[in-house]
Amino acid sequence: MLTYILKRLLVAVPLIFGVLTLTFFIIRLAPGDPAAFFIQPGISPNVAMQIREQYGLNDPLLIQYVKWLGHVLQGDFGRSFSRAQQPVIEVIASALPITVTIALLTLVANFTFGIIIGVISAVRQNSFLDRFLTITALFFYSMPEFWFALMMIIFFALRFPLFPASGLNEVGAEGFGPLGFAIDRLWHLVLPVTVLSINGAAGIARYVRGSMLEVIRQDYIRTARAKGLPERLVIFRHALRNALLPVITLMGSSLPFIFSGALFIEVIFAFPGMGRVTVEAIFARDYPLIIANTFISGILIVFGNLIADVLYAVVDPRIKL
Amino acid sequence: MTKDQRATSSYRGSSAPRAVRRLLMLPLCLLLLTASACSGGGRGHAGGSAMDSTLVLTSLGDADYLNPVIGASVTSSNIFSLIYPSLLQSEFDTTTGLLNYMALEKQLRPSPDGTTRKTPKAALARTWTMAPDHRAITYTLRNDAFWDDGKPIVARDFLFAYRLYADPVIASPRQQYLAELEGAEKGEVDFRRALSAPDDTTLVFRFHKPVPEYLALFHTSLAPMPEHFWRNVKPAEFRNSPLNRKPLGAGPYRLQSWKAQQELVLRSNHRSNLPKPGNIPQISFRVVPDYTVRLAQLQTGAVDVVENIKPEDFAGLEHAKNPVDIKSVGLRVYDYVGWSNIDRDEYRQHGRIVPHPLFGSAPVRRALTMAIDRQSIIDGYLGRYGVEAVTDISPSLKWAFNPKVQPYPFDPRKASEILRREGWIPGPDGILQKDGRRFSFILYTNAGNARRNYASVIIQQNLRAVGIECRLEVQESNVFFDNLQNRRLDAWMAGWSIGLEIDPMDVWGSDLEKSRFNFMGYRNSQIDSLSAVAKEQMDPLDARPSWMAYQEILHRDQPVTFLYWIRETQGFSRRIEGEELNISGVFYNIDDWTLSPSGTFAP
Repeated sequence: MLTYILKRLLVAVPLIFGVLTLTFFIIRLAPGDPAAFFIQPGISPNVAMQIREQYGLNDPLLIQYVKWLGHVLQGDFGRSFSRAQQPVIEVIASALPITVTIALLTLVANFTFGIIIGVISAVRQNSFLDRFLTITALFFYSMPEFWFALMMIIFFALRFPLFPASGLNEVGAEGFGPLGFAIDRLWHLVLPVTVLSINGAAGIARYVRGSMLEVIRQDYIRTARAKGLPERLVIFRHALRNALLPVITLMGSSLPFIFSGALFIEVIFAFPGMGRVTVEAIFARDYPLIIANTFISGILIVFGNLIADVLYAVVDPRIKL
Repeated sequence: MTKDQRATSSYRGSSAPRAVRRLLMLPLCLLLLTASACSGGGRGHAGGSAMDSTLVLTSLGDADYLNPVIGASVTSSNIFSLIYPSLLQSEFDTTTGLLNYMALEKQLRPSPDGTTRKTPKAALARTWTMAPDHRAITYTLRNDAFWDDGKPIVARDFLFAYRLYADPVIASPRQQYLAELEGAEKGEVDFRRALSAPDDTTLVFRFHKPVPEYLALFHTSLAPMPEHFWRNVKPAEFRNSPLNRKPLGAGPYRLQSWKAQQELVLRSNHRSNLPKPGNIPQISFRVVPDYTVRLAQLQTGAVDVVENIKPEDFAGLEHAKNPVDIKSVGLRVYDYVGWSNIDRDEYRQHGRIVPHPLFGSAPVRRALTMAIDRQSIIDGYLGRYGVEAVTDISPSLKWAFNPKVQPYPFDPRKASEILRREGWIPGPDGILQKDGRRFSFILYTNAGNARRNYASVIIQQNLRAVGIECRLEVQESNVFFDNLQNRRLDAWMAGWSIGLEIDPMDVWGSDLEKSRFNFMGYRNSQIDSLSAVAKEQMDPLDARPSWMAYQEILHRDQPVTFLYWIRETQGFSRRIEGEELNISGVFYNIDDWTLSPSGTFAP
């Protein structure tokens, strides 16, 4: 398996590099100018030119590419155009932990609720409860996240002010002490994580239900019941374990989705995470930041897929890598 | 198969259930944490002492640089103007629409009612003298002003700062302010002659041409920089310098903390005598990119000021739990429909100036204006926060505004008549035609502007009623601006926010290569000469006749259809007291604001 992983990682290098090169050229082909902000009345026309010179955008495209390549190979993704020339790596280093926190919380909530709802629906197939859960899950699954987020804010932050509408912490949260600060942070994460996970859990519930229904019709389940095992044991020990096989692989592949899902949520809830960094970088034509973000999401997708494949082999001994 | 599966099932039996159990335990922990978090958050909220002494402002994006040389965004300049000292105080006089400049012991013109609203104590200049030939201005600085580290603010700090403003490597967005200094006419300010500091309290600026006093004051009022603090930073490293994160100022506030893209907190500067420590102990600028969320927070009292409230939200704010006042400043922003006056393909490809086949004639453009019901756009969207626009001189600039120039009435019948006289006859499909060309075009606008979307639909209907086919297309802002600059659009809807000094040549100048924002390709030599004459006047009031004539010509030529002026509206929590809004900025006297009822004062 180690050889397999190494092989996959080796293939990933040119793949990600290709993606970065494509991104480099495509964003430069897109209309818009990173110095456009400085083209306005009252600002000398020289400023936009000087800014472009600073960004190295006055060089021919090929020279720009070679320079960029040289820097990237040394691990230098450059400085952000739109964020006060902060090194891109620093921008990402401050944004990534926030997104990772949200993503991990969401992942846990997604799978927990998804599996519970899926199992209930499958075990009580065609019952009122199953129909109710199915319809509810579909209802949330088909709801656009940004709209759902706004509705949650209007309901839980405005009508019934239980949770804060935005930000990571309260004004003056530093004075609450470490525990108070952490609790305040979690309190701020309730609405966004709920929005992200309700949507995701609904999808996973559908998966689990389908997979579970397939498993509980198998002969060995009938055998387990026939030998007098309690229903709880049959479902959780015999059926669920096998039904979870395809679901566990979902975990790997859902990683990049959660990151892109966090995009809307971060903008709406004013979290300075990767999603917002990406959106703002694109609108500001902040080339170095866009490329670095593509790099991060490229890696996530490659690793997500790798993890999914490896997990599959880990949980199912019939699969040899 | 069954056997195999059973084998599989029992094989995994040893490790998987534990994993599943662990997986199931996690959400339980999460739920517990969440439950405790709810109560903890509640405590945080109820404690509220931080909120009592903190004014919370929101902005769409973070500040870029807290540095007057390179800070470019409005948020940045709102913040650094509280940290850095200024040479003069300026005030917008609403009775005349003129900017007044004040030093400690002198002001440009007397205040309308004899008293200035804003204290000139923040000014570093004690007084100034304009040379009789208007080619130099000499400031006398006060000697009791200090940077926060205790070092005195001296004339050399200005010399140092102006070299930074002028440096092309630093690329300051305020270079335009240096355009009149000696040497600037040749492309580079000659610092040996343009600026001098004979002693610590004397500062002299020299110009390459006679400059009106108000303009000299305006353009020499850039903030100084502490030379001793910045001296060792090379120009190439100026933008990246860590000193940008801990600015040394002298104003009523100083930087307390700055969490990028989240929150920036200013603390009242108890050492400041420029003019005094800010009344409110702490000001927090929070980044909230989403408008709906900003609005919700204003309603719940989590934030105190939200700028640019949309008219459709006024009713909701009136019933907010936390009392909110809607305030508006003067008219600085207008929307217009731009018509390409020239055939843009001919111009781009061959450099030839040929009238545009649809919009090339002034009578046709006047007819288009008459066909558009501007008042109903205002009534339907802006209500009392909109005023019909006639030209680009704002009614708020009373000294220059020409009240005799009245907007063309909404008169589709007359519009049709003019179009017929111009040769536009209805075709078989009901759309006007001339020489085989249908009067059909695409009206472009930028994405994300609800007001322009609303207006564009009405414009489309209005034009259809006179037989003109107008299709709508919304473009991403960067793409839209790029297309405008490169003259790829025949008709578009956009807006301008005007400066408080009138300088229209960038937009209406006949030299299409020089006039960066003349996307219309409008050319009228009278406009050029009137602007030139107006700018030569040493007293702005002497320029008044030129600006009056300018408005008449612009109104007659209708290079664009001016739609409406917008009164930008801001939502203020009623716990703020003492705020005075001014066209020159919402946070114009923020250091004088207080918070009630439990608002506390800085020591």
